[in-house]
Amino acid sequence: MTFSYSFKSAFKSLCREKWINLLSILTVASSLLIITLTAFFLYNIEIIANSLPERFSIVAYLKDDLSSEETQAVIDTIKRRADIAGLKYISKEDAIKELQHTLKDTGYILEGLTENPLSSSIEIKLKKDFVTPSSAKHVAGEIKKTAGIDEVYYGEKIADAIHLLRRSMQNMSVIIFLTISSGVIFVTYSTVKILFYRRKQEIEIIKLLGATKGFLRMPFLIEGGSIGFFGGLIGIIGAMLFYLAVTYRLSMVIPMLKTLLFPFEILVVLPLIGIMFGIIGSLIAIGRLKL
Amino acid sequence: MIIFQNVSKYYDNQTVLKNITFTVQKGEITFITGPSGAGKSTLLKLMYLAESPDEGDIVIGDFHLASLKEAQIPYLRRSVGVVFQDFKLINSITVFDNVALSLRIRGVKEREIRDIVSNALKKVHIRHLSDSYPTSLSGGEQQRVVIARAIAAEPLVILADEPTGNLDPNTSIDIIRVLRELNAQGATILIATHNRELFRGTGNRVLKLDGGNIVGEEAG
Repeated sequence: MTFSYSFKSAFKSLCREKWINLLSILTVASSLLIITLTAFFLYNIEIIANSLPERFSIVAYLKDDLSSEETQAVIDTIKRRADIAGLKYISKEDAIKELQHTLKDTGYILEGLTENPLSSSIEIKLKKDFVTPSSAKHVAGEIKKTAGIDEVYYGEKIADAIHLLRRSMQNMSVIIFLTISSGVIFVTYSTVKILFYRRKQEIEIIKLLGATKGFLRMPFLIEGGSIGFFGGLIGIIGAMLFYLAVTYRLSMVIPMLKTLLFPFEILVVLPLIGIMFGIIGSLIAIGRLKL
Repeated sequence: MIIFQNVSKYYDNQTVLKNITFTVQKGEITFITGPSGAGKSTLLKLMYLAESPDEGDIVIGDFHLASLKEAQIPYLRRSVGVVFQDFKLINSITVFDNVALSLRIRGVKEREIRDIVSNALKKVHIRHLSDSYPTSLSGGEQQRVVIARAIAAEPLVILADEPTGNLDPNTSIDIIRVLRELNAQGATILIATHNRELFRGTGNRVLKLDGGNIVGEEAG
């Protein structure tokens, strides 16, 4: 019953102080929209970054004088490694064919060759977690030590780029999330504090009638949570409008934008994040007030 | 029911109440009288801890106020129904909700609240004003609402601080009659007033307060 009173009281206050509440809701909505858009961009960058390790490979060139049994032994040794996602053996013949295919119209360059100058090789794909500059270097070094391997090549710069992109993304998302979260919490904190002072006389009366601190605080917690919830709902509408604008309108001009994906899960979570921030803001506000 | 033991209260080195000692029995109606500034309101405020005593102890039912923890204060206040001189009604809610508030604080179920509030308003003869807002009521009607709120949760004690202070003589008599009816039903009541007409000829116990001291006791 106390809950029902608290909900009614909070709802009445939301309606009575509609302008200040509306302003707070819109501020929270804008902040949550920024979080959503950040998540949207990071989500798409993450997809791109995730696809990069699939393209990353280590190429191990085999010595020319290996028999087929020795070649198979090298392949088996490398296959047994825990950090390897897969490998592909490319024979000398396959390598020259691929080069001819790549050169296409300029294939005549190869016409003067009397023998195939290319080596057999093994193209090695690492597991996603091992595509870091240090892991790739370590794995390449160990493979090079394998008997029958002549030379190892790996895209050091690609591994560096992937790693840097990942780290920057993580840091950026943490900074944006913390900044915006603090903003949202501050908005609800200030709103609840103002609402408290506007109802101070009423609160004094309720205190004299025997209300506990919990009874006095509950409507403010609900009100703070509601501000966050409605902010989240409006944030969803804003995010959807943005997504539709990007995929339907802007993609007519920039077709690449059509491939962007939207993390729809965040739309469900957004009001919950709003409620959480609202309640935290309210808790700080009423925790600091003398009841 | 109510025990004051050598209670003193000071404001900025000024003595407001000095060594107050008295007892009120269960079911008794007692008047505290004295001129303005005698300490009547302060004495009542000490009983629901709107003010804290500087010396001595007050016992109300099972509550020993000198050793009462902060978390227990709301429960003390629930056992004391106060009729405030300045009403302390919430103007943004109806008469019904003002009276119901003291019950909602106690966690009483809504279904029961309807009946209890209705009965409380009936006792003070304003059931027809249930849906009105305090600002649309006369002073006497507002005072009845305050009494209804004080009695609704059936407290151990009802404290009335100048309950007729803002009212005309006829309305004052009405209000006192209501308080007497409640006392007849078993309520313990303590009324602070400077209006001697309220207890003259009633035979009720009257404590005379002056300069922060109890200077006498008589039958009204």
